[in-house]
Amino acid sequence: MWRMSWSTFRERWTLFAGALLTVVFGVGLVQASIMVSLGAEDPAIPAGTSPREAERLRDAYEGAGSLLGMTAMLACFLAVFIVGSTFAFTVAQRRADLALLRTLGGSRPQVMTLLFGEAVLLGLLGSAGGILFGIPLMWIQAYLLTSTGILPGSFAPQWDNGVLIASVCAGVGMALTGSVAATVRAARVRPLEALREIGGAARVMTLGRWIWGVTMLALTALMVSGEGKADFLGAMLIAMGVSFAGAIGLSSLSPLVVPLAGHLLRPFTRFGPLAELAQANLRDGRRRAAATAAPMIVLTALVVGLMAMLGTQAKAGGADVKRRIVGEYVVTSTGADAARIASVPGVQAASTSTVADIVLTVSRTEDGRRQKKKVRSGIFAIDPAAYQATHTLKPVSGTFGELRGRAAMAGPGSAEDGIRTGTTAVAEIGGRKVRLKVVARMPATLENNADAFFVPRSLLPPDMLAKAESETTVKVAAGTNPADVANRLRDLRIGKVETVSAWADARVGRQMKENNSVMMVLMGLSAVYAIVAIVNAMVIAGTERRREFAVARLTGLSRRQVVQAALLEASGVTLIGVGLGLVVAFAALGGFLFGPSGTEILAVPWTLIVLIVLGAFGISSLTSVLTTRSATRPAPVTLAAARE
Amino acid sequence: MTFPAPRPAAPYGMPPIPQGPSPLAPPAVELQSVVRRYGSGDTTVTALDGVSIAFPSGTWTAVMGPSGSGKSTLLHCAAGLDRADEGRVVVAGRDITRAPEAVLTDLRRRSLGFVFQNFNLVGALTAEQNVALPMRLARARLDRRTVRAALADVGLADRGKHRPRELSGGQQQRVAIARAMATRPDVLFADEPTGALDSRSARTVLDLMRRVVDSPGPQDGSPAQCVVMVTHDPVAAAAADAVVFLRDGRLVDRLVGASARDVADRLATLED
Repeated sequence: MWRMSWSTFRERWTLFAGALLTVVFGVGLVQASIMVSLGAEDPAIPAGTSPREAERLRDAYEGAGSLLGMTAMLACFLAVFIVGSTFAFTVAQRRADLALLRTLGGSRPQVMTLLFGEAVLLGLLGSAGGILFGIPLMWIQAYLLTSTGILPGSFAPQWDNGVLIASVCAGVGMALTGSVAATVRAARVRPLEALREIGGAARVMTLGRWIWGVTMLALTALMVSGEGKADFLGAMLIAMGVSFAGAIGLSSLSPLVVPLAGHLLRPFTRFGPLAELAQANLRDGRRRAAATAAPMIVLTALVVGLMAMLGTQAKAGGADVKRRIVGEYVVTSTGADAARIASVPGVQAASTSTVADIVLTVSRTEDGRRQKKKVRSGIFAIDPAAYQATHTLKPVSGTFGELRGRAAMAGPGSAEDGIRTGTTAVAEIGGRKVRLKVVARMPATLENNADAFFVPRSLLPPDMLAKAESETTVKVAAGTNPADVANRLRDLRIGKVETVSAWADARVGRQMKENNSVMMVLMGLSAVYAIVAIVNAMVIAGTERRREFAVARLTGLSRRQVVQAALLEASGVTLIGVGLGLVVAFAALGGFLFGPSGTEILAVPWTLIVLIVLGAFGISSLTSVLTTRSATRPAPVTLAAARE
Repeated sequence: MTFPAPRPAAPYGMPPIPQGPSPLAPPAVELQSVVRRYGSGDTTVTALDGVSIAFPSGTWTAVMGPSGSGKSTLLHCAAGLDRADEGRVVVAGRDITRAPEAVLTDLRRRSLGFVFQNFNLVGALTAEQNVALPMRLARARLDRRTVRAALADVGLADRGKHRPRELSGGQQQRVAIARAMATRPDVLFADEPTGALDSRSARTVLDLMRRVVDSPGPQDGSPAQCVVMVTHDPVAAAAADAVVFLRDGRLVDRLVGASARDVADRLATLED
């Protein structure tokens, strides 16, 4: 059986090429991620780094580690997915062969051994390729992490021989897991199928697809129906849930949904016989159309849905910040310069938030257990009275009045950290430790990186206050032209003067950029897999259709027309795949429309959508033309007679 | 392995052919009142309608009939590839009507051989590997000499290392026969074995099948092999010992030692 696995593998290598590539890629990514994580686990902190900077570095390494873990997991998941669809394809294509094996006395376990043998071969070859590919990939990953600023330039990944074992295990594991479903299905092939030519009549919509697809779509419908009643957090969860469940549901039911959507393309059949043939083929070749459209649905729904969700969250945070500020301008300057703002004519109120370069150790209660937590960023020194004059946000417990002397106030950024009023916090201010009492607590806001703590300005040494970066919110007196005040502020030449709206937008922009750099890594990876899956499905389908193309040519189509008809069909499938993906993505965003800001906060990633549409059409067209041309190279008579 | 010369075909109208080496030996394959229906409700088609027939060891029977007469279904039911809805099927002394899959697999390994119209060789394997495949599946000790002898018997001793696509249709069918014979099965089922061949290759294949039937059993006293062949071709049918005719799922006639012309005439009357 093993020798036979090897012969089949060699004979049908084109079928396995896509799967092999994904295993190579998957193993390479797992290996690179392990090595980069090993390097990040014991971070080399350059000598002479300040404790605060060292702490920031450690956090960065920790973040990079979890990002890499996520990419490796995603890579494994997608590799299993693609190996699964490849094996499903080969089994569908080889039904007659498998039935013959059964007729000649092969038992079910022997058929399973044959396929698992192929999977192990695939895994071993993939691991070998992946181990080699993982080395350059490791350097690319390290470069990406350092160039995007996630890790410092001094970072170097680490080689460990143990990683080889992990790579082989990962490769074989991915291949075996991916092949299970198809192998079980192969074992059910009946020997009679070798005598009757019913190989093609195999069911495409399996019971598993039905159950999985219907459950996921029902869940999606349930979530969409709840969109009207959800608050912002609910809308976020719904957006995420709908993106995932909708994508999985539609892709599971794709053999049903794609031909159905093909009916919508009926008006195009008026453009001539080629369009008619393409539309008919799209609806008839269910397995083929579904296998190509499914990765497009998943990719479009997830990438557009999640990007839009994160963008919307950032925008909503910005809108929230704007709503809570009573004022017209924000001035960014040093603490010393900020002190001059209040005396500018026309300024009714000015509240300065100065970055406090201190470390706060607070005790928090989570699940009934008390824990210590160190907070290093997001701590601001404020004047409570001025702050109240320019901000509408009120504490949920305690008052602004109590924020004086040795006191601290939990800001909106730590509202969900379980910090109670009345507890003690220890502040390290320039090497000296001071015990503070948490006197008040702010409610949560929509902003992701909201202020974590407020302390009274009197707590910090004057020189620290003078040098630190500050943002001053300015409220213009009634009856004064705000533009005049802005000009006077600019004349001070102490820093940047922005309208509240521009300042908030810049904040949103910074957060979106942060989102993008993380999402780019994850989504770029998914896109690579989606491309492999699409190309894989189309190449396999193309080789399967040699006879069909030959018959079309014998019927009177020129080779060029066959290529055109296949291209039209591929474009139709792409249109359906991307279209259904966008439907899911937009359904996911529905919950935000009912929020206080309505459509204003919706961040639809139009550039991304255009890129996806162009990319999907480009890749599917190119693959279609190349595979059809190669499948129509031999003279049609030789193929029409051949039994595939 | 040596084969005796083909026996002369019995003249038309002779009594039924001899029933194997001993009149008491059970038939290699026996169908008793077998009914097979497809579909349900209004679309039910009765492919076999109470067919009873025995195929004795050491005989070659051709099954003929118009399209849709049920001849393929008869072959599938007799070989345990399809289940009879009613009646009994006995193969090599075992009742396989309700046998579980494992029993059927074992039966196919040890007692049955198949030859198909489209050869059905595994494209990835060489001729020798194809012939050896059933033995390997049965986990029998692989005897290379047996494999080579089987290929030599069909005149392909020098083609052992070739893959099917490097062989002509006739050669592929000979490899398939070598594969079916290498394990010396009790029954050889042939489904249109000459259907895809030119007349010269078809003649060679029919001669080979004749040698299969006429050669003695693997051990002294063991029954000779039985061939059941479905065909459309009167020439192929005339090469068999007996021809049975099916129409609408029922056995309607049986000719022994008929010529190709007789068979063609009988078939033409059935198709009217």
